Amino acid sequence: MASSSSDPQNLITKADNLTTLSFTRWNADWINATVLYEQAANAFKIAKDYERAKSAYEKASKGQEMLSSPWEAAKNMESAGAMSKELRNWREVGDFYRRASELYIECGRSQAASDALAKGARALEDSQPEEAIKLYTDACTILEEDGGEQMTFDLYRAAASVYIKQEKYTDAASFLLKLGLAADKCNATNSQTKAYLSAIIVYLYAQDFKQAEKCYNDCSQIDGFLRNDHGRCASKLLTAFKDGDIEEIKRITQSSIISNLDHVIIRLARKLPMGDVNALKANSDTIKDEEEPLDENDLT
Amino acid sequence: MSVIDILTRVNSICKKYDRYDVVKQNDSNFSADDAFAKLYSVFDADIEVALQKAETASKEKNRASTVATNAEIRRTKARLLEEIPKLQRLAVKKVKGLSSQEFAARNDLVLSLPERIQAIPDGTPAAPKQTGGWGASASRPEIKFDSDGRFKDGYFEQTKESSQFREEYEMRKMKQDQGLDVIAEGLDTLKNMAHDMNEEFDKQVPLMDEIDTKVDKASSDLKNTNVKLKDTVTQLRSSRNFCIDIVLLIIILGIAAYLYNVLK
Repeated sequence: MASSSSDPQNLITKADNLTTLSFTRWNADWINATVLYEQAANAFKIAKDYERAKSAYEKASKGQEMLSSPWEAAKNMESAGAMSKELRNWREVGDFYRRASELYIECGRSQAASDALAKGARALEDSQPEEAIKLYTDACTILEEDGGEQMTFDLYRAAASVYIKQEKYTDAASFLLKLGLAADKCNATNSQTKAYLSAIIVYLYAQDFKQAEKCYNDCSQIDGFLRNDHGRCASKLLTAFKDGDIEEIKRITQSSIISNLDHVIIRLARKLPMGDVNALKANSDTIKDEEEPLDENDLT
Repeated sequence: MSVIDILTRVNSICKKYDRYDVVKQNDSNFSADDAFAKLYSVFDADIEVALQKAETASKEKNRASTVATNAEIRRTKARLLEEIPKLQRLAVKKVKGLSSQEFAARNDLVLSLPERIQAIPDGTPAAPKQTGGWGASASRPEIKFDSDGRFKDGYFEQTKESSQFREEYEMRKMKQDQGLDVIAEGLDTLKNMAHDMNEEFDKQVPLMDEIDTKVDKASSDLKNTNVKLKDTVTQLRSSRNFCIDIVLLIIILGIAAYLYNVLK
């Protein structure tokens, strides 16, 4: 018995025998088969045989499904996903984790579902960033549907950092604003104001001064942001940009308020000012000149 | 002549001419009942002390202590000037054992006090003499600064000590500013950490509630299962069943023995 139980391949064959329907077998014995599959998968994992471990986990998960215990099935799927991550089989990683989260939702455990998607997204961050972003967004949607916005902060932040790595700054800023919205629902003012400040910094890094100003104006509607440290820092930063005062900008970015933000944002802030600050200043000046003649002649 | 001899001689001469000693006479003349006399002697003593302080102040090199002493002298003067009305009231009271001349003299003494008090030098340059200084000073003197605008040439020059003092002051201020900056940064970090901890706890609250309900449900399930199990086990191992088992066994053995006997 010891030899057969410690030899995972034997276990697999035995389990397969139990499940395949044949002339002599009319009912598939999933209970024993699942047990054997799980044992085999663990043995493969210890032996670092990821390929076979992955297939064993898949079969175990299917067995659990048949036994109508979606929780166990989802857990096995997650393990299969982890194995395929070791194998660097990125497509399968996404598939496995999605399947796992579906099973979790079947159980009615949305938190676990979003966790599964987040794990998948983290695994895919480097190799397939778009897929990772999709997984993050799905995870956030699941949580928000169930009223668990507090957990979404980390997910939004991670998604924003993925976008920043891809240099898609507007998308990153929009995610940060979504973070702010979620924080607002939970009355987490500190996270909210930090999110807004981060969004403004991202816009400034992208040299989109107009957007940054618009963002600041929008966020000033919120009382907490206007009077908060982060709000004041944002207004100082914007005035420094408008005046083209590089020294002031450097001083603000070295301050402790910025150092409390996410480290990706800190890196961006330290690199400010990007590009030609004077060009930004000139731009804003010309726009002002254009407006003035309108004011005089236009009496509407 | 030895020192002891000189001392004894001086003592005897003093004793002989004691009655010419004005100060002592004044002291001995004033009886314990004479309130005016007591108060007047207090005044005299205060004025003497103030005059001595003025002397030391004029000789002082350290400007800070001069200023302090002058301030003290001014305070004493103000106090004395306030108490003069009291003295005046006592002066008009009749006291037994006092001649009429002395009585009149007392009034004059009281009236001369304000002048004497004002005359004590306290660092202000001499003010022009007020006419009708006999009147009781009911009005307060005008508030004036230390000097009245006639600055001497070297007034604003910095002495070596004052510039050193100023430098030290600047250095200390700078060090304090640096220390305060460090503290401010530390406080910023603390504030941020506290805010984050606050939010984290808020996040944990619903999770804890969920854990609570789940654990409650699990424990009640467990209790139910335990009770059922107990019932099953007692039923299984009840003595009644054992007896029935033993009896049936004996019957079977009996039947087997009977059959064996029959077939033998």
